[in-house]
Amino acid sequence: MKTVDIARRAVRGLRNAKARTILTSLAIAVGAFTITVSLAAGEGARQYADKLIGSNVNPSALFIVKDKSIFEGGGRQAGLQVYDQNIGTTSTGLTLKQMTQADVDILKARDDIENVVPTYAPTVRYMQFGDNDKKFTGQLAAYDPTILSEAAFGSLPVMGKDIDDTQAVVPESFATVLVDQKVIKSPQELVGKTITMTAVSSKSLASGEQLAQAYATGGQAAVEALTVPETKEFTFMVSALTKKSATALASTSAIQIPASEARAISEYTTLGTDGYQKYVGATALVKDGNDPAAVKDKLLQKEFYAQTAEDLQGVVFAVVNTLQGIVLGFGIVALIASVFGIINTQYISVLERTREIGLMKALGMRGKSVSRLFQFEAAWIGFLGGIIGTIIAVAAGLALNPWLTEKLGIGEGNYILIFQPIPIIIMIVALMLIAMLAGWFPARKAAKLDPIEALRTE
Amino acid sequence: MVIEVSSLTKTYGKKNSAFKALDDVSFTVPDGASVAIVGKSGSGKSTLMHAMSGLDRPEAGQVIIDGVDILKLKNKAVDRFRSEKIGFIFQAFFVQANETSFDNVALPLEISNVSAKERKQRVDEALKTVGLDDKTKQKARNLSGGQKQRLAIARAIVNKPSIIFADEPTGNLDSATGEIIEDLLFGLNKTGGSTLIIVTHDADLASKCDIQVYIKDGKIDRIDNNVTTQPFASPTEEGAEL
Ligand SMILES: Nc1ncnc2c1ncn2[C@@H]1O[C@H](COP(=O)(O)OP(=O)(O)OP(=O)(O)O)[C@@H](O)[C@H]1O
Ligand SMILES: [Mg+2]
Repeated sequence: MKTVDIARRAVRGLRNAKARTILTSLAIAVGAFTITVSLAAGEGARQYADKLIGSNVNPSALFIVKDKSIFEGGGRQAGLQVYDQNIGTTSTGLTLKQMTQADVDILKARDDIENVVPTYAPTVRYMQFGDNDKKFTGQLAAYDPTILSEAAFGSLPVMGKDIDDTQAVVPESFATVLVDQKVIKSPQELVGKTITMTAVSSKSLASGEQLAQAYATGGQAAVEALTVPETKEFTFMVSALTKKSATALASTSAIQIPASEARAISEYTTLGTDGYQKYVGATALVKDGNDPAAVKDKLLQKEFYAQTAEDLQGVVFAVVNTLQGIVLGFGIVALIASVFGIINTQYISVLERTREIGLMKALGMRGKSVSRLFQFEAAWIGFLGGIIGTIIAVAAGLALNPWLTEKLGIGEGNYILIFQPIPIIIMIVALMLIAMLAGWFPARKAAKLDPIEALRTE
Repeated sequence: MVIEVSSLTKTYGKKNSAFKALDDVSFTVPDGASVAIVGKSGSGKSTLMHAMSGLDRPEAGQVIIDGVDILKLKNKAVDRFRSEKIGFIFQAFFVQANETSFDNVALPLEISNVSAKERKQRVDEALKTVGLDDKTKQKARNLSGGQKQRLAIARAIVNKPSIIFADEPTGNLDSATGEIIEDLLFGLNKTGGSTLIIVTHDADLASKCDIQVYIKDGKIDRIDNNVTTQPFASPTEEGAEL
């Protein structure tokens, strides 16, 4: 029997059992829906991450550390360890091998990287805006020229260029707080205003001996004078407010100051302590004509651990892929369930149509053709399920995309569900093959049916 | 086509419960003859017909059609032989209720790979022969009993078979409709030249056939020949005298 004729009879066979066909294919549709959505979400997330990293991170940027555990998901739990003045403990109790000034100097001396900037951790006791007396505290960070920010007000230098020594960049959200606190009337007013930051030196902590001596000579007043910490003011002018952007990676929750000033503040506040000139890591740019990955390998030989822009992308993609894998897993579980649905339906179909099968075999139809007839029916069920599932997924996805974009705050014009025809077509073909495979057992039963027995059944 | 049945034996069940449905059955059917296989219910008529058409494989004996023992053929060859050379009319109609008249009749042609164009022509012709040309697009379930039986006949003759097997073709019909069916079958036998083998317990119908094979408990009881005193006359003479 010709394949077209078998396929035609298969379609008619399904049409004669409409309810059963649709119910069985709905089971597959659930799997198809889940898989389509997971494919679309994975694609959307990858494209978004790509856009995010591509437009924000200089491809030649490197982040270099001395402790590779930073790239492996955080530091080690501390426990009791032999003291090492280069090992710092974070507030959450994780220990990190820090980078020393000597390490930074080694990096600066290299000829394959430039713009080596350690990650200064500048902290000040408080800051004041303009002439207002109100004191505020807030996060500080060194301005990172390798990451692009978007200015809401004022202006920012182009990517790769640093801000001036006296300039500071403030997140727009900080300006909103200042408006609430009646320091300024509107956010844009902040641009051009000064920020005065007061840092406290730690070396002013007097020893017990000094205190005793002071008490002996000057009494209570002398002790107080001695324990008043030494402070220093650093003044900047706000050059821009950064916008909270959906496609910006920059840490928008810190006031950014020039690296040189960040260094001055952190060294002033840590002088005389273990934290002096110790850094979590450093950022650098790979010089033109050098491959970031190759530089990374060379750094590794010197026990520096580096992450390239591509690695960062890899990390994000790995997360996306894992999440997508989980959703995909649900889809596959649904499919496995539907496979049993197909087997069951087709078995019932074979039983119901025993006489029809017997007749066809008595008229000389090959067992192979009978088997093919039932497998084609299964394939059609798979096709139908795939189509129903994808249509619902695409329709729901397109309808929900604007809402999802808003909820996730990923920026206008970016969609988290991106449907691509090729993976969908591949999926539907795969569903048909799976359905055919599931239909194989009932089809074999049909093919092996003895026509005389079959014709005898009433 | 000459059909030679020799020493056919078919046993159902094993050992203690063994039951001989056919016991050493032998006879010959000349080309173009009409044969009635007559016997009581359960005597083995259907079993014999199934063996003669290659549907069943008895454990002993031969069915030689045109010099070939079809019981020795491979499955594939037997299937092909059935699809090309044989037309079946089963005891119950066995038409596919959900399919149209056209698709019912087209089935044997589809099985033997006839092109769609030729199929259309031959199906229309067969439906016209049985007087169902106005029901081409009707679902078979909407046909009356007699129409269903005529549809079964159309399906049996559409591939122009050399042998037509009919198991109780008029068993379920009233006498008037039965007569129409009988006329159709004998018409095909006389004018189409196909060998006709009818299984029946209707003595009237049996007497209209050239040869009557009486079966009793799986054995040949007797063979009557209406046409010539010589039971195994040459096929050409047989045809000429009709
Ligand atoms: N699969 C089987 N297993 C056991 N016995 C069987 C089987 N098929 C048929 N028989 C027996 O073989 C005998 C002949 O059956 P068959 O169907 O050939 O009878 P028949 O002459 O066609 O009867 P009817 O006129 O009622 O159709 C019966 O006794 C039947 O019970
Ligand atoms: Mg019978």
